Amino acid sequence: MTSALEGRDLVVLRAGRRILDGASILVQPGESVAIQGPSGSGKSTLARTLASLLEPDAGTVLLGERDARAIPPVEFRTRVAFLAQQPAMFEGSVLANLAAGPRLHGKSLDDAGAGALIQAVGLDEETLAREARTLSGGEKQRVALARALANAPEVLLLDEPTAALDPEAGERIVALLRELRTRGLSIILVTHVEAHARALRGTLYRCERGRILAGA
Amino acid sequence: MTYAQITLPRLLLSLGLIAVAVALSRRSRLGLERDLVWGAVRGAAQLIAIGYVLLLLFSHERPLWVLLLLGVMLVAAGATAARRVEHGPPRAVLFPRAIAAVGAGTLVAVVPVFAGVVPLHPWYEARYLVPISGMMLSNAMNVVAQVFERIFASARVEADQIEALLALGATPRQALERQVRSTLRAALLPTINGLLTVGLVALPGMMTGQIVSGTAPEQAVRYQIVILYQLVAVAAVAGLAAVAFARRLLFTSRAQLVLPGTQA
Repeated sequence: MTSALEGRDLVVLRAGRRILDGASILVQPGESVAIQGPSGSGKSTLARTLASLLEPDAGTVLLGERDARAIPPVEFRTRVAFLAQQPAMFEGSVLANLAAGPRLHGKSLDDAGAGALIQAVGLDEETLAREARTLSGGEKQRVALARALANAPEVLLLDEPTAALDPEAGERIVALLRELRTRGLSIILVTHVEAHARALRGTLYRCERGRILAGA
Repeated sequence: MTYAQITLPRLLLSLGLIAVAVALSRRSRLGLERDLVWGAVRGAAQLIAIGYVLLLLFSHERPLWVLLLLGVMLVAAGATAARRVEHGPPRAVLFPRAIAAVGAGTLVAVVPVFAGVVPLHPWYEARYLVPISGMMLSNAMNVVAQVFERIFASARVEADQIEALLALGATPRQALERQVRSTLRAALLPTINGLLTVGLVALPGMMTGQIVSGTAPEQAVRYQIVILYQLVAVAAVAGLAAVAFARRLLFTSRAQLVLPGTQA
Protein backbone atom coordinates (compact mmCIF):
# COMPACT_ATOMS: atom_id res chain seq x y z
CA MET A 1 0.00 0.00 0.00
CA THR A 2 1.27 3.50 -0.84
CA SER A 3 2.02 5.63 2.16
CA ALA A 4 0.45 9.08 2.32
CA LEU A 5 3.25 10.80 4.21
CA GLU A 6 6.48 9.44 5.55
CA GLY A 7 9.39 10.87 7.50
CA ARG A 8 12.54 8.76 7.24
CA ASP A 9 15.45 9.15 9.70
CA LEU A 10 14.84 12.85 10.17
CA VAL A 11 17.53 14.86 11.91
CA VAL A 12 17.17 18.53 12.83
CA LEU A 13 20.03 20.34 14.55
CA ARG A 14 19.66 23.64 16.37
CA ALA A 15 22.55 25.34 18.14
CA GLY A 16 24.41 22.03 18.25
CA ARG A 17 21.43 20.16 19.76
CA ARG A 18 19.73 17.29 17.96
CA ILE A 19 16.06 18.33 18.14
CA LEU A 20 15.16 15.43 15.87
CA ASP A 21 17.49 12.49 16.19
CA GLY A 22 16.58 10.03 13.46
CA ALA A 23 12.79 10.28 13.75
CA SER A 24 10.80 8.06 11.39
CA ILE A 25 7.07 7.81 10.90
CA LEU A 26 4.81 6.41 8.21
CA VAL A 27 1.17 7.36 7.74
CA GLN A 28 -1.13 5.42 5.41
CA PRO A 29 -3.82 7.10 3.31
CA GLY A 30 -6.88 7.61 5.48
CA GLU A 31 -5.00 6.71 8.64
CA SER A 32 -5.17 8.74 11.84
CA VAL A 33 -1.99 9.05 13.82
CA ALA A 34 -1.43 10.73 17.15
CA ILE A 35 2.09 11.63 18.27
CA GLN A 36 2.26 12.30 21.94
CA GLY A 37 5.19 13.52 23.93
CA PRO A 38 6.32 16.01 26.55
CA SER A 39 7.26 19.55 25.56
CA GLY A 40 10.78 19.75 24.22
CA SER A 41 10.66 16.19 22.88
CA GLY A 42 10.83 17.43 19.28
CA LYS A 43 7.28 16.68 18.23
CA SER A 44 6.50 20.22 16.99
CA THR A 45 9.76 20.25 15.03
CA LEU A 46 8.73 16.90 13.55
CA ALA A 47 5.34 18.31 12.51
CA ARG A 48 6.96 21.37 10.90
CA THR A 49 9.52 19.19 9.14
CA LEU A 50 6.83 16.84 7.81
CA ALA A 51 4.95 19.94 6.58
CA SER A 52 8.13 21.05 4.75
CA LEU A 53 8.16 24.31 6.69
CA LEU A 54 11.51 23.27 8.09
CA GLU A 55 14.34 21.65 6.15
CA PRO A 56 15.80 18.60 7.93
CA ASP A 57 19.59 18.45 8.30
CA ALA A 58 19.38 14.78 7.36
CA GLY A 59 16.69 12.32 6.38
CA THR A 60 13.85 12.44 3.91
CA VAL A 61 10.19 13.38 3.82
CA LEU A 62 8.15 11.44 1.27
CA LEU A 63 4.68 12.26 0.00
CA GLY A 64 3.04 9.38 -1.83
CA GLU A 65 6.50 7.77 -1.84
CA ARG A 66 7.99 10.73 -3.74
CA ASP A 67 10.81 12.67 -2.15
CA ALA A 68 9.41 16.00 -0.94
CA ARG A 69 12.41 17.79 -2.41
CA ALA A 70 11.26 16.70 -5.86
CA ILE A 71 7.80 18.21 -5.32
CA PRO A 72 7.37 21.98 -5.76
CA PRO A 73 6.71 23.51 -2.29
CA VAL A 74 3.42 25.05 -3.42
CA GLU A 75 2.12 21.66 -4.56
CA PHE A 76 3.41 19.88 -1.46
CA ARG A 77 1.74 22.31 0.92
CA THR A 78 -1.51 22.22 -0.97
CA ARG A 79 -1.57 18.45 -0.54
CA VAL A 80 -0.28 18.49 3.06
CA ALA A 81 -2.07 21.02 5.23
CA PHE A 82 -0.42 22.23 8.44
CA LEU A 83 -2.12 23.88 11.37
CA ALA A 84 -0.07 25.71 13.98
CA GLN A 85 -0.85 25.65 17.67
CA GLN A 86 -2.43 29.09 17.54
CA PRO A 87 -3.26 29.60 13.88
CA ALA A 88 -2.89 33.15 12.63
CA MET A 89 -6.08 34.60 11.24
CA PHE A 90 -5.71 36.81 8.20
CA GLU A 91 -7.23 40.27 8.16
CA GLY A 92 -10.87 40.31 7.12
CA SER A 93 -13.88 38.06 7.46
CA VAL A 94 -13.99 34.33 8.10
CA LEU A 95 -15.13 33.95 4.48
CA ALA A 96 -12.03 35.82 3.28
CA ASN A 97 -9.91 33.47 5.41
CA LEU A 98 -11.54 30.39 3.92
CA ALA A 99 -10.99 31.74 0.41
CA ALA A 100 -7.32 32.50 1.08
CA GLY A 101 -5.97 29.09 0.02
CA PRO A 102 -7.89 28.78 -3.26
CA ARG A 103 -7.13 32.45 -4.07
CA LEU A 104 -3.39 31.83 -3.74
CA HIS A 105 -3.78 29.28 -6.51
CA GLY A 106 -5.87 31.52 -8.72
CA LYS A 107 -9.18 29.87 -7.81
CA SER A 108 -12.25 31.20 -6.06
CA LEU A 109 -14.44 29.74 -3.36
CA ASP A 110 -18.17 30.00 -4.00
CA ASP A 111 -20.78 30.58 -1.29
CA ALA A 112 -21.95 26.97 -1.33
CA GLY A 113 -18.37 25.76 -0.93
CA ALA A 114 -17.74 28.15 1.95
CA GLY A 115 -21.00 27.11 3.61
CA ALA A 116 -20.11 23.42 3.36
CA LEU A 117 -16.63 24.04 4.80
CA ILE A 118 -17.80 26.05 7.77
CA GLN A 119 -20.45 23.46 8.57
CA ALA A 120 -17.91 20.66 8.29
CA VAL A 121 -15.99 22.21 11.17
CA GLY A 122 -19.13 22.60 13.27
CA LEU A 123 -19.74 26.34 12.88
CA ASP A 124 -22.86 27.94 11.44
CA GLU A 125 -22.94 29.94 8.23
CA GLU A 126 -23.38 33.23 10.07
CA THR A 127 -19.78 32.89 11.21
CA LEU A 128 -18.66 33.53 7.63
CA ALA A 129 -19.38 37.25 7.92
CA ARG A 130 -17.59 37.70 11.23
CA GLU A 131 -14.20 39.36 11.57
CA ALA A 132 -11.79 36.40 11.87
CA ARG A 133 -9.48 38.04 14.39
CA THR A 134 -12.29 38.58 16.90
CA LEU A 135 -13.11 34.85 17.20
CA SER A 136 -12.39 32.77 20.30
CA GLY A 137 -9.42 30.37 20.37
CA GLY A 138 -11.60 27.33 19.64
CA GLU A 139 -13.39 29.11 16.80
CA LYS A 140 -10.07 30.17 15.30
CA GLN A 141 -8.91 26.55 15.33
CA ARG A 142 -12.04 25.52 13.50
CA VAL A 143 -11.75 28.32 10.97
CA ALA A 144 -8.09 27.40 10.41
CA LEU A 145 -9.20 23.80 9.88
CA ALA A 146 -11.86 24.87 7.37
CA ARG A 147 -9.32 27.17 5.69
CA ALA A 148 -6.91 24.24 5.31
CA LEU A 149 -9.70 21.97 4.01
CA ALA A 150 -10.53 24.53 1.30
CA ASN A 151 -7.34 23.39 -0.46
CA ALA A 152 -8.67 19.80 -0.46
CA PRO A 153 -5.51 18.35 1.10
CA GLU A 154 -4.65 14.65 1.34
CA VAL A 155 -2.93 14.96 4.71
CA LEU A 156 -3.80 17.13 7.69
CA LEU A 157 -0.97 17.87 10.13
CA LEU A 158 -1.96 19.51 13.39
CA ASP A 159 0.55 20.84 15.89
CA GLU A 160 -0.99 20.99 19.38
CA PRO A 161 -4.38 22.20 18.16
CA THR A 162 -5.88 21.76 21.64
CA ALA A 163 -3.08 23.25 23.74
CA ALA A 164 -4.47 26.77 23.87
CA LEU A 165 -8.08 25.66 24.37
CA ASP A 166 -10.12 24.77 27.45
CA PRO A 167 -10.56 20.99 27.90
CA GLU A 168 -14.07 20.92 26.48
CA ALA A 169 -13.19 22.89 23.33
CA GLY A 170 -10.11 20.67 22.92
CA GLU A 171 -12.22 17.50 23.05
CA ARG A 172 -14.60 18.92 20.47
CA ILE A 173 -11.69 19.57 18.10
CA VAL A 174 -10.53 15.95 18.46
CA ALA A 175 -14.08 14.71 17.83
CA LEU A 176 -14.12 16.85 14.71
CA LEU A 177 -10.85 15.29 13.55
CA ARG A 178 -12.38 11.82 13.99
CA GLU A 179 -15.22 12.89 11.72
CA LEU A 180 -12.88 14.28 9.10
CA ARG A 181 -11.09 10.97 8.89
CA THR A 182 -14.20 9.46 7.38
CA ARG A 183 -13.60 11.74 4.38
CA GLY A 184 -10.48 9.76 3.55
CA LEU A 185 -8.03 12.30 4.92
CA SER A 186 -4.83 11.17 6.62
CA ILE A 187 -4.54 12.94 9.95
CA ILE A 188 -1.46 13.48 12.07
CA LEU A 189 -2.17 14.98 15.46
CA VAL A 190 0.74 16.17 17.57
CA THR A 191 -0.20 16.73 21.20
CA HIS A 192 1.15 16.59 24.71
CA VAL A 193 -2.29 15.65 26.05
CA GLU A 194 -2.51 11.87 26.31
CA ALA A 195 -6.31 11.88 26.52
CA HIS A 196 -6.55 13.75 23.21
CA ALA A 197 -4.04 11.42 21.55
CA ARG A 198 -6.15 8.42 22.62
CA ALA A 199 -9.44 10.10 21.76
CA LEU A 200 -8.39 10.29 18.11
CA ARG A 201 -8.69 6.47 18.12
CA GLY A 202 -5.90 6.05 15.60
CA THR A 203 -2.36 4.74 15.70
CA LEU A 204 -0.43 6.02 18.71
CA TYR A 205 3.21 7.04 18.74
CA ARG A 206 5.40 8.58 21.38
CA CYS A 207 7.98 11.23 20.71
CA GLU A 208 10.99 11.11 23.03
CA ARG A 209 14.25 12.97 22.68
CA GLY A 210 13.77 13.50 18.97
CA ARG A 211 12.82 9.92 18.16
CA ILE A 212 9.50 8.24 17.46
CA LEU A 213 8.50 5.16 19.43
CA ALA A 214 5.50 2.95 18.77
CA GLY A 215 2.63 3.07 21.29
CA ALA A 216 1.81 5.72 23.82
CA MET B 1 26.48 87.81 -11.92
CA THR B 2 28.49 87.51 -8.75
CA TYR B 3 27.65 85.95 -5.42
CA ALA B 4 28.54 86.94 -1.85
CA GLN B 5 31.84 85.28 -0.93
CA ILE B 6 32.08 83.46 2.42
CA THR B 7 35.48 84.27 3.88
CA LEU B 8 37.03 81.95 6.46
CA PRO B 9 36.30 84.26 9.46
CA ARG B 10 32.68 84.50 8.31
CA LEU B 11 32.50 80.70 8.01
CA LEU B 12 33.77 80.39 11.58
CA LEU B 13 31.08 82.84 12.65
CA SER B 14 28.45 80.31 11.53
CA LEU B 15 29.74 77.96 14.23
CA GLY B 16 27.73 80.15 16.57
CA LEU B 17 24.66 78.28 15.31
CA ILE B 18 26.10 75.03 16.65
CA ALA B 19 26.90 76.83 19.90
CA VAL B 20 23.19 77.71 20.23
CA ALA B 21 22.23 74.02 19.90
CA VAL B 22 24.98 72.96 22.31
CA ALA B 23 23.84 75.51 24.87
CA LEU B 24 20.24 74.32 24.56
CA SER B 25 21.32 70.68 24.87
CA ARG B 26 23.28 71.46 28.03
CA ARG B 27 20.47 73.49 29.53
CA SER B 28 17.88 70.75 28.84
CA ARG B 29 20.35 68.01 29.86
CA LEU B 30 19.92 66.17 26.54
CA GLY B 31 23.51 64.97 26.64
CA LEU B 32 23.90 65.68 22.93
CA GLU B 33 26.76 68.20 23.19
CA ARG B 34 29.46 65.78 22.17
CA ASP B 35 27.43 64.48 19.21
CA LEU B 36 26.66 68.02 18.08
CA VAL B 37 30.27 69.13 18.18
CA TRP B 38 31.53 65.94 16.57
CA GLY B 39 28.82 66.18 13.90
CA ALA B 40 29.67 69.80 13.16
CA VAL B 41 33.39 69.08 12.88
CA ARG B 42 32.98 65.90 10.88
CA GLY B 43 30.37 67.39 8.53
CA ALA B 44 32.57 70.41 7.86
CA ALA B 45 35.67 68.25 7.36
CA GLN B 46 33.88 65.96 4.91
CA LEU B 47 32.51 68.89 2.93
CA ILE B 48 35.85 70.72 2.84
CA ALA B 49 37.52 67.49 1.75
CA ILE B 50 35.00 66.87 -1.04
CA GLY B 51 35.45 70.54 -2.04
CA TYR B 52 39.16 69.93 -2.60
CA VAL B 53 38.48 66.60 -4.28
CA LEU B 54 36.09 68.32 -6.70
CA LEU B 55 38.60 71.09 -7.30
CA LEU B 56 41.21 68.49 -8.15
CA LEU B 57 38.78 66.52 -10.24
CA PHE B 58 37.70 69.56 -12.26
CA SER B 59 41.29 70.39 -13.07
CA HIS B 60 42.17 66.77 -13.97
CA GLU B 61 38.88 65.60 -15.41
CA ARG B 62 39.48 62.01 -16.48
CA PRO B 63 36.83 59.26 -16.77
CA LEU B 64 38.74 57.02 -14.38
CA TRP B 65 38.93 59.64 -11.60
CA VAL B 66 35.26 60.56 -11.95
CA LEU B 67 34.18 56.91 -11.86
CA LEU B 68 36.50 56.23 -8.93
CA LEU B 69 34.93 59.03 -6.90
CA LEU B 70 31.43 57.79 -7.76
CA GLY B 71 32.56 54.30 -6.72
CA VAL B 72 33.75 55.55 -3.34
CA MET B 73 30.45 57.37 -2.84
CA LEU B 74 28.52 54.20 -3.74
CA VAL B 75 30.50 52.08 -1.27
CA ALA B 76 29.97 54.64 1.50
CA ALA B 77 26.22 54.72 0.74
CA GLY B 78 26.04 50.91 0.75
CA ALA B 79 27.92 50.65 4.03
CA THR B 80 25.61 53.17 5.66
CA ALA B 81 22.44 51.47 4.37
CA ALA B 82 23.62 48.09 5.72
CA ARG B 83 24.50 49.46 9.12
CA ARG B 84 22.67 48.56 12.29
CA VAL B 85 19.77 46.60 10.85
CA GLU B 86 18.06 45.23 13.92
CA HIS B 87 16.75 41.67 13.52
CA GLY B 88 18.45 41.56 10.13
CA PRO B 89 21.26 39.42 8.77
CA PRO B 90 24.85 40.40 9.62
CA ARG B 91 26.27 43.52 8.02
CA ALA B 92 28.63 41.49 5.85
CA VAL B 93 25.61 39.80 4.25
CA LEU B 94 23.66 43.01 3.71
CA PHE B 95 26.55 45.19 2.52
CA PRO B 96 26.99 43.80 -1.03
CA ARG B 97 23.21 43.72 -1.47
CA ALA B 98 22.89 47.30 -0.27
CA ILE B 99 25.51 48.36 -2.80
CA ALA B 100 23.66 46.54 -5.58
CA ALA B 101 20.29 48.06 -4.63
CA VAL B 102 21.68 51.60 -4.21
CA GLY B 103 23.64 51.23 -7.44
CA ALA B 104 20.66 49.91 -9.42
CA GLY B 105 18.41 52.77 -8.25
CA THR B 106 21.05 55.38 -9.03
CA LEU B 107 21.87 53.98 -12.46
CA VAL B 108 18.24 53.90 -13.54
CA ALA B 109 17.79 57.57 -12.60
CA VAL B 110 21.14 58.93 -13.72
CA VAL B 111 21.87 57.27 -17.06
CA PRO B 112 18.72 58.28 -18.99
CA VAL B 113 18.79 61.84 -17.64
CA PHE B 114 22.40 62.44 -18.63
CA ALA B 115 21.79 60.73 -21.94
CA GLY B 116 18.70 62.70 -22.91
CA VAL B 117 17.73 65.54 -20.57
CA VAL B 118 20.99 67.13 -19.42
CA PRO B 119 23.51 66.05 -22.08
CA LEU B 120 27.08 66.06 -20.77
CA HIS B 121 30.18 67.14 -22.71
CA PRO B 122 32.20 65.02 -22.25
CA TRP B 123 30.05 62.20 -20.82
CA TYR B 124 32.05 62.23 -17.58
CA GLU B 125 31.61 65.96 -16.92
CA ALA B 126 32.19 65.96 -13.17
CA ARG B 127 30.48 69.30 -12.49
CA TYR B 128 27.10 67.63 -13.19
CA LEU B 129 27.80 63.95 -12.77
CA VAL B 130 29.21 64.04 -9.22
CA PRO B 131 26.73 66.27 -7.37
CA ILE B 132 23.62 64.90 -9.07
CA SER B 133 24.72 61.28 -8.64
CA GLY B 134 25.48 62.12 -5.01
CA MET B 135 21.92 63.27 -4.44
CA MET B 136 20.61 60.08 -6.02
CA LEU B 137 22.96 57.84 -4.02
CA SER B 138 21.91 59.55 -0.83
CA ASN B 139 18.20 59.05 -1.50
CA ALA B 140 18.76 55.43 -2.54
CA MET B 141 20.78 54.88 0.63
CA ASN B 142 17.95 56.14 2.83
CA VAL B 143 15.33 54.07 1.03
CA VAL B 144 17.42 50.87 1.16
CA ALA B 145 18.23 51.38 4.85
CA GLN B 146 14.56 51.81 5.61
CA VAL B 147 13.51 48.79 3.57
CA PHE B 148 16.05 46.54 5.32
CA GLU B 149 15.12 47.91 8.72
CA ARG B 150 11.37 47.41 8.27
CA ILE B 151 11.15 44.21 6.24
CA PHE B 152 13.20 42.04 8.63
CA ALA B 153 11.45 43.49 11.68
CA SER B 154 7.96 42.95 10.25
CA ALA B 155 8.82 39.43 9.04
CA ARG B 156 9.79 38.62 12.62
CA VAL B 157 6.69 40.17 14.18
CA GLU B 158 4.35 38.59 11.62
CA ALA B 159 6.16 35.28 11.18
CA ASP B 160 3.03 33.30 12.12
CA GLN B 161 1.03 35.05 9.37
CA ILE B 162 3.73 34.40 6.81
CA GLU B 163 4.01 30.74 7.79
CA ALA B 164 0.23 30.33 7.76
CA LEU B 165 0.24 31.56 4.17
CA LEU B 166 3.17 29.30 3.23
CA ALA B 167 1.32 26.37 4.80
CA LEU B 168 -1.62 27.11 2.50
CA GLY B 169 0.68 26.85 -0.49
CA ALA B 170 1.67 30.49 -0.93
CA THR B 171 4.89 31.32 -2.76
CA PRO B 172 7.38 33.45 -0.79
CA ARG B 173 6.30 36.43 -2.88
CA GLN B 174 2.65 35.90 -1.94
CA ALA B 175 3.44 35.16 1.70
CA LEU B 176 5.46 38.36 2.13
CA GLU B 177 3.22 40.58 0.03
CA ARG B 178 1.62 42.50 2.91
CA GLN B 179 4.95 43.26 4.58
CA VAL B 180 6.49 44.30 1.27
CA ARG B 181 3.63 46.65 0.53
CA SER B 182 3.77 48.45 3.88
CA THR B 183 7.58 48.58 3.79
CA LEU B 184 7.69 50.13 0.33
CA ARG B 185 4.95 52.61 1.14
CA ALA B 186 6.85 53.78 4.21
CA ALA B 187 10.14 53.95 2.35
CA LEU B 188 8.73 55.92 -0.58
CA LEU B 189 6.65 58.30 1.51
CA PRO B 190 9.41 60.87 2.24
CA THR B 191 10.20 61.14 -1.48
CA ILE B 192 6.53 61.52 -2.37
CA ASN B 193 6.05 64.09 0.41
CA GLY B 194 9.03 65.90 -1.06
CA LEU B 195 7.18 66.16 -4.37
CA LEU B 196 4.05 67.46 -2.70
CA THR B 197 5.64 70.12 -0.53
CA VAL B 198 8.42 71.34 -2.78
CA GLY B 199 8.15 75.09 -3.34
CA LEU B 200 5.50 75.37 -0.64
CA VAL B 201 7.58 74.45 2.38
CA ALA B 202 11.12 74.16 1.19
CA LEU B 203 13.15 75.46 -1.71
CA PRO B 204 15.39 72.51 -2.45
CA GLY B 205 19.12 72.75 -1.91
CA MET B 206 20.20 72.34 -5.49
CA MET B 207 17.83 75.00 -6.78
CA THR B 208 18.76 77.36 -3.97
CA GLY B 209 22.43 76.80 -4.70
CA GLN B 210 22.02 77.46 -8.40
CA ILE B 211 20.05 80.64 -7.79
CA VAL B 212 22.58 81.88 -5.21
CA SER B 213 25.43 81.26 -7.64
CA GLY B 214 23.70 83.14 -10.41
CA THR B 215 21.70 80.68 -12.53
CA ALA B 216 18.46 82.09 -13.92
CA PRO B 217 15.66 80.96 -11.56
CA GLU B 218 13.65 79.50 -14.45
CA GLN B 219 16.58 77.20 -15.40
CA ALA B 220 17.25 76.36 -11.75
CA VAL B 221 13.61 75.34 -11.41
CA ARG B 222 13.82 73.08 -14.45
CA TYR B 223 16.89 71.37 -13.04
CA GLN B 224 15.09 70.89 -9.77
CA ILE B 225 12.07 69.31 -11.44
CA VAL B 226 14.34 66.82 -13.21
CA ILE B 227 16.07 66.06 -9.91
CA LEU B 228 12.77 65.47 -8.14
CA TYR B 229 11.61 63.03 -10.80
CA GLN B 230 14.97 61.29 -10.65
CA LEU B 231 14.62 60.93 -6.88
CA VAL B 232 11.26 59.21 -7.36
CA ALA B 233 12.74 56.68 -9.80
CA VAL B 234 15.71 56.13 -7.49
CA ALA B 235 13.47 55.44 -4.52
CA ALA B 236 11.24 53.05 -6.45
CA VAL B 237 14.02 51.03 -8.06
CA ALA B 238 16.32 50.93 -5.00
CA GLY B 239 13.36 50.03 -2.78
CA LEU B 240 12.21 47.18 -5.03
CA ALA B 241 15.75 45.87 -5.40
CA ALA B 242 16.25 45.91 -1.62
CA VAL B 243 12.96 44.05 -1.16
CA ALA B 244 14.01 41.41 -3.69
CA PHE B 245 17.29 40.87 -1.83
CA ALA B 246 15.52 40.73 1.54
CA ARG B 247 13.04 38.19 0.24
CA ARG B 248 15.86 35.92 -0.89
CA LEU B 249 17.41 36.18 2.55
CA LEU B 250 14.12 35.42 4.31
CA PHE B 251 13.25 32.24 2.42
CA THR B 252 15.12 29.10 1.47
CA SER B 253 14.97 27.66 -2.03
CA ARG B 254 12.27 25.33 -0.64
CA ALA B 255 10.13 28.34 0.34
CA GLN B 256 10.79 28.01 4.07
CA LEU B 257 10.86 31.12 6.22
CA VAL B 258 14.22 31.67 7.93
CA LEU B 259 14.41 34.60 10.31
CA PRO B 260 17.97 35.91 10.53
CA GLY B 261 19.54 35.24 13.89
CA THR B 262 17.21 32.41 14.88
CA GLN B 263 18.98 29.58 13.11
CA ALA B 264 22.02 27.77 14.38
